[in-house]
Amino acid sequence: MIPRSFEYSAPGTLDEAVALLQKLGSDAKILSGGQSLIPMMKLRLASPPHIVDINRIPGLDYITEKDGFLRIGALVRESDLERSELVRSRFPILVDTTSVIADPLVRNQATVCGNLAHGDPANDHPATMLALGAIVVAVGPRGERDVPVENFFPALFTTALEADEILREIKIPIPPPSTGGAYLKLERKVGDYATAGVAVQITLNNSGACTAAAGIGLTNVGFTPIKAVKAEAFVKGKQLDQAAVKQASEIAAGESHPVDDIRGPADYKRDLVRVLTARAIVRALERVKGGV
Amino acid sequence: MTSKKSQKSLVELRINGETIEVAFAPHKTLLEVLREDLALTGTKHGCELGECGTCAVLVDGLPVLSCLVLGLEAEGREVTTIEGMATAAGLHPLQDAFADLGAAQCGYCSPAFLLVAKELLEVNPSPNRDEIREALSGNLCRCTGYIKIYEAVELAAARMRGEAVEPATESIYGFEV
Amino acid sequence: MNTIGKPISRVDGKLKVTGSARYSAEFDMPGLCYAVLVQSTIPAGRIAGMDDSLARKAAGVLAVLTPENAQRLPGAEKRLSLLQDNQVYYNGQPVAVVVAEKLEEAHHAASLIKIRYSVSAPKLDFVAGFPSSHPGNHNGEPGDMSWGDVDGALKDSDIKIDQVYTTPIHHHNPMEPHAAIAQWNGDELTVHESAQDISGHRAKLAKLFGVQESNVRLICLFVGGGFGCKGPLWSHVPLAAMAARQVNRPVKIVLERPQMFGPVGARPRTHQRLTVGATREGKLTAIRHEVHAHTSVIEDYLESSAFPTRVMYGCPNVSTIHRIVDLNLGTPTYTRAPGVATGTYALEVAMDELAYKLNMDPLQLRLLNYTENDPQTKLPFTGKHLRDCYTRAAERFGWSNRTREPRSMRDGSQLIGWGVATETYPANRRPASALVRFKPDGRVLVATGTHEIGNGIYTIMIQTAADALNVSPDLIDAQLGDTALPPAPITAGSMTVASVTPAIQTAAERVRTRLLQMAVADSGSPVHDASVDEVDFKDGLIFRKLSPNRSEKLGDFIARNGGQPIEGIAHVEPDETLKQKFASHSFGAVFAEVSVDPDLGPTRVRRVTAVYDVGKVLNEKTARSQFIGGIVWGIGLALHEDSHMDARTGRIVNENLADYHVPVNADIGEIDVSAIDIADTHLNPLGARGIGEIGITGTAAAVANAIYHATGKRIRDLPITPQKLIA
Repeated sequence: MIPRSFEYSAPGTLDEAVALLQKLGSDAKILSGGQSLIPMMKLRLASPPHIVDINRIPGLDYITEKDGFLRIGALVRESDLERSELVRSRFPILVDTTSVIADPLVRNQATVCGNLAHGDPANDHPATMLALGAIVVAVGPRGERDVPVENFFPALFTTALEADEILREIKIPIPPPSTGGAYLKLERKVGDYATAGVAVQITLNNSGACTAAAGIGLTNVGFTPIKAVKAEAFVKGKQLDQAAVKQASEIAAGESHPVDDIRGPADYKRDLVRVLTARAIVRALERVKGGV
Repeated sequence: MTSKKSQKSLVELRINGETIEVAFAPHKTLLEVLREDLALTGTKHGCELGECGTCAVLVDGLPVLSCLVLGLEAEGREVTTIEGMATAAGLHPLQDAFADLGAAQCGYCSPAFLLVAKELLEVNPSPNRDEIREALSGNLCRCTGYIKIYEAVELAAARMRGEAVEPATESIYGFEV
Repeated sequence: MNTIGKPISRVDGKLKVTGSARYSAEFDMPGLCYAVLVQSTIPAGRIAGMDDSLARKAAGVLAVLTPENAQRLPGAEKRLSLLQDNQVYYNGQPVAVVVAEKLEEAHHAASLIKIRYSVSAPKLDFVAGFPSSHPGNHNGEPGDMSWGDVDGALKDSDIKIDQVYTTPIHHHNPMEPHAAIAQWNGDELTVHESAQDISGHRAKLAKLFGVQESNVRLICLFVGGGFGCKGPLWSHVPLAAMAARQVNRPVKIVLERPQMFGPVGARPRTHQRLTVGATREGKLTAIRHEVHAHTSVIEDYLESSAFPTRVMYGCPNVSTIHRIVDLNLGTPTYTRAPGVATGTYALEVAMDELAYKLNMDPLQLRLLNYTENDPQTKLPFTGKHLRDCYTRAAERFGWSNRTREPRSMRDGSQLIGWGVATETYPANRRPASALVRFKPDGRVLVATGTHEIGNGIYTIMIQTAADALNVSPDLIDAQLGDTALPPAPITAGSMTVASVTPAIQTAAERVRTRLLQMAVADSGSPVHDASVDEVDFKDGLIFRKLSPNRSEKLGDFIARNGGQPIEGIAHVEPDETLKQKFASHSFGAVFAEVSVDPDLGPTRVRRVTAVYDVGKVLNEKTARSQFIGGIVWGIGLALHEDSHMDARTGRIVNENLADYHVPVNADIGEIDVSAIDIADTHLNPLGARGIGEIGITGTAAAVANAIYHATGKRIRDLPITPQKLIA
């Protein structure tokens, strides 16, 4: 199985890459980890005439904390997240997420930014980034711009990126104290895409009630990654006791739009969203209290 | 600096410590370059879509799927295949353990399991069973049922730590003991 | 020498761990070029037109074979798709072949071929095909067999179970895809093929191309897994030979993973109705096992799911019936434990249902209906120690700690369940030949045209020869996988060891006798003039028994006697009268523990304990691996494996390893296997019955029964996926 032939460029700087994209327009496809792109090309679901390989661009593999944000560069691999002390200590939800993506071999090559840029609602990071209120930094011929993740997925396999833009960085706001998050996914077997997945991020105020910062994201239960805004609104200001968790999870399930497919019927998946949301909230609360 | 290639061109690859010049088209993945252009057939072809792990090689020390990496991406990076796992001193302890314990059954998935396990033991010399499972979770085996593979990794790890271990005496008459 | 039964390491281990073992696609030769298949995209109809003009003009293309231009083969048969006509019988059928200098060129050119089809209404509805289904047989055994009065006995039964159990299509998915390299030299054809039956494939290729069998040579040094799909000859191999003839160069073809889901066999779908009657005390009075399974429209294959019901329990009234439904799908074939894997699932779940209805321990029910003789023929078994298997496995598993009620065992939030099932597999043996050769360098060669498929047969051949000749295994080399060697049967049906080792033993006896005869006749030999009974050969030395110092090295003896190797060849047939005297089957008992997440549905098999009665175990290491591997297949059958057919196009939707789930290592808990090591010398001199398949039998039922025990839900449709448990 071999992709259709293409021209290949390996720019040495971001500027060169952007210039190439500007010239080639939709003829070009960016290669970072390639763990989704290359299979699609082999199956001839994508046949870009030109591949722009950004792997040779130095300085894009950073994970840093700066100006109130965790910043993840375009060439950070999934396995880099798992290894990062910063991520492990401050964002266990990211470790939850990355550790259930595909398998360790894929994670050594796949990039976090690529997981968003691919626009696949079955990918895991989008839900987590929705829950975290992340911002995508896109760079193009018109300079840089910030796109909130909630505006990043307009339609199936579509992102807010223009054909001449590169997803340079993901910015995640550093959460205030008393914050906890978790990502839970049901997969048919290890390495599979989610039958359903739920990301929850929660911050409690001094009286133990949920603040407005609550985020809930859903994986693979709609044509795009879903931000469960009604469930988020519901938990705001609430003490998350058993009854509230139950109600929030039912609301989140109502916000999912799954379809029948090889992973199961829609009703079943909606029910999974309910169970996973409840469990993710409970796990997030445990983490607020310092649990792991 | 931008490099641009559309037709076959000569590429320098570092494979098992040697520099090799080889010409191949950009749309070939490392797997086909290794197997068809360089006759390094120890790297196996399983699904070609990144779903079985059979084609794993080490690139700059990390296990990756050679079927999902372009040959051109490997330029300037250190590629290790199963052919480079043994040294002048002999087989790698993992190779010995896989051979001793029968962790290589039909043998087709073995090169990939060995390379992935090699990297695991480099970063974690004393993995427990769950860590071994996790590290090897991207590799399919259709013959062994995996158990012998875990046992072989554990044995090799112990030997590499310098422990005087013998393979557990294998018996399928366990109830007699 | 006594190496049989010892945990000898695989002699091919080093080759396999260094990447030096060469599989069939890994041979290079001058002029080698590449072939790629073009497959049909409709399930039924005919090719109305094919435009290959762009493909022919594409870079590197050497030939495009189509139904229009392909060589007409003298021995063509309908079961193979060799471009002899325009008919399409299933989606994925080969309809053209592109040959090019480079693989990527062939692949690209194949994508340029445009095909117009005239589509017919396909037969794809399995259940709708029941009324037009037809009987069949499996390996010559009739699909229908009954004894007693089943209807009468069912009417009078105190307790009755009447349920339908279904199993889906499975694809074998060995890690190594099918591959072949074909090369003609005049009228002589050499094929490197990943195959489980080189002799059979040679005969079929010779017939197809109208050449003498002696003109065809098949070579296969290692098989990267097969599990049945590499048993029959499939279309890609003769197509590679046709391509090689056309371009007059060696041609390599390697199937892509999606191509493994159609033209190279499958385990067919089954629909099994089991009606079981019993007395209030739990004695079986009647079993009716009616099976529907599918085949293709081009060849009959019968999945013999009711066969195990003919041997498992003592029951006076039994009816086993099979009906085949023709569908526009690729022809199914043997898949690890054909018939038995699917059949034991249905039978052993029905037994569990009966046990619950009787309020009886399911193990107790099995012991109560234990049979010492074949229930149909009343013949004794060549050896049967199943009772020991039950007892020992139950003890190792801790079965006595089980609480009977469903949903009565928990671990935290997880539901826990324990289940049991009986395992069985027929003991098979076929004619085989082997040669044993003393070589001038003092080493010994043992050779037969069998296949190393992970079964460890290289090692077992050496062990067998070592013991028969009193020679250290270090001095012996084994050769196999070549039709230039004495022929061996198909490597399938768990019969390789039982078939091949007697031939090796006989060949070894012959070469040994020959050597000793030559030695006593040789005036230069220190054993000259002794009688053959007075001399011996051991560890490479020929010597007088009474004065072992008067000895000579094998190599020296051969050098003095012209330097030519000394050889013994044997062809050994199984004793066909055995079947009139005995039934011969392996048995086992398997226990499984599962945990089920009651809210999400996933099942995890935490541990499996199995004890087998398979006769003599020849090598503990390779045997343990085979048992564990079989059990893991059983777990896949129970929980994961499922080929989804698109009802409209007849295409397998999940034709890849991401969506077709073979068990991954994280799915596997602890597996404890052991064997009752009692030689069954009725079957063959070493007393081995074969071990490759029994592990998958029964296991799916044990898991399904454990899931019922955990959840109270009886799922009768495999695989038991989370959504079936939550629904």
